[in-house]
Amino acid sequence: MTDRRHPDRDTTEIDALVAHRYLDGLLAAADRAVGDGHAESLLEPDVREAARVLRSALVRVHPSFRFEDRLASRLAELAAAQAGRARLAAGGGTVVPFPLRTVDPAMDAILRGDLDPSALPADLDGDRPSPDRRPLIVTGAITSAAISLAGVAWVAWRASRPGAGRSPMGRAARTAHARRAATTGIAGPA
Amino acid sequence: MARPVFGRRDGPASSVVPLDRDRPLVEAARRDPAQFDALYRKYLAQVYAFALYELADHHAAEDATERTFLRALAALPRFHEQALPEDGPEASTFRVWLFRIARNTIANERRTRRRRPAASLETALGAGLAIADGRDLEADAVTRDEAATALRTVQSLPDDRRRALLLRFVDEMSTAEIAGVLGRSEGAVRVLIHRALRDVARRLEPPAR
Repeated sequence: MTDRRHPDRDTTEIDALVAHRYLDGLLAAADRAVGDGHAESLLEPDVREAARVLRSALVRVHPSFRFEDRLASRLAELAAAQAGRARLAAGGGTVVPFPLRTVDPAMDAILRGDLDPSALPADLDGDRPSPDRRPLIVTGAITSAAISLAGVAWVAWRASRPGAGRSPMGRAARTAHARRAATTGIAGPA
Repeated sequence: MARPVFGRRDGPASSVVPLDRDRPLVEAARRDPAQFDALYRKYLAQVYAFALYELADHHAAEDATERTFLRALAALPRFHEQALPEDGPEASTFRVWLFRIARNTIANERRTRRRRPAASLETALGAGLAIADGRDLEADAVTRDEAATALRTVQSLPDDRRRALLLRFVDEMSTAEIAGVLGRSEGAVRVLIHRALRDVARRLEPPAR
């Protein structure tokens, strides 16, 4: 059995794996000068430099403590509302109201279980080949609409032309139609 | 062989071994929603940083972070832990699940903000925010120009390429975790990151040889 894999794709995957190993070393190293020596020697110098710059430029940031505390309070309110709901479902207690809609219009659906906020939606990423259905459907609909419009325009144009049907395709169609008519005429009643 | 990523059920359910390092915290939060606070404090900086790099706006990042955690708490009863032994002792499917919520929330925010002029990441990062891990540019001898060029390039990358790069560098996720967040294979994530690095490399000055 022959290997049908594309050599370019293999090279891309190998390069990506080398970069991955280099990054593993770079990001894990306590001393930033230390990395995966083998991967380092295989990786293109400009990519290595880019990784080094990104490691320094992409720092993790922390929100303000005021925001942290405000969100913690909101979460505590929601937690109290959920606990109240659970007690109510168990047969006692009161529901603590929480103005969720003002925060997030999707919250009601999430609480009811009608919406999964972690579900990956289809999107139009440039890097994604074509695993999504929505873009395909949209593209298909646009294509079919374009074909239909082009078809209507072509038929109208051909009908309006006096010399219509002189193309090779037209001749072939007319010949086939004439043969079918002749066959039908012979086989049919006189 | 590619490992199953989060959210996929490739084999029988019995082959899924619970191995989430956050399991005790998740179970506590399920018993008592008030205990979700521990998970919130643990992942706040990570989610916020991802949102800030994605949105390049301090206020928008706060909004997206708020929605992410509120949605996570609301949906926690339906969270299913899925990790495999080969995912290692550091595996956390809760983190992957949380970042999938963040990814969706942020993507939605980016769509609604598309008509507004894009803010600069440099400006957003310099808006009086505390750097959590104490790294500085001087320690790596990276110039401000290089860092600025890198940030501008990151901002202009295609969506999944940019997300993969940010999750790898800012949140220091493994490729398996990133694959789970983005719904891609690990191989695809490695290729995304490599392409992103090459994009950045093209925009930087050639290294001194």
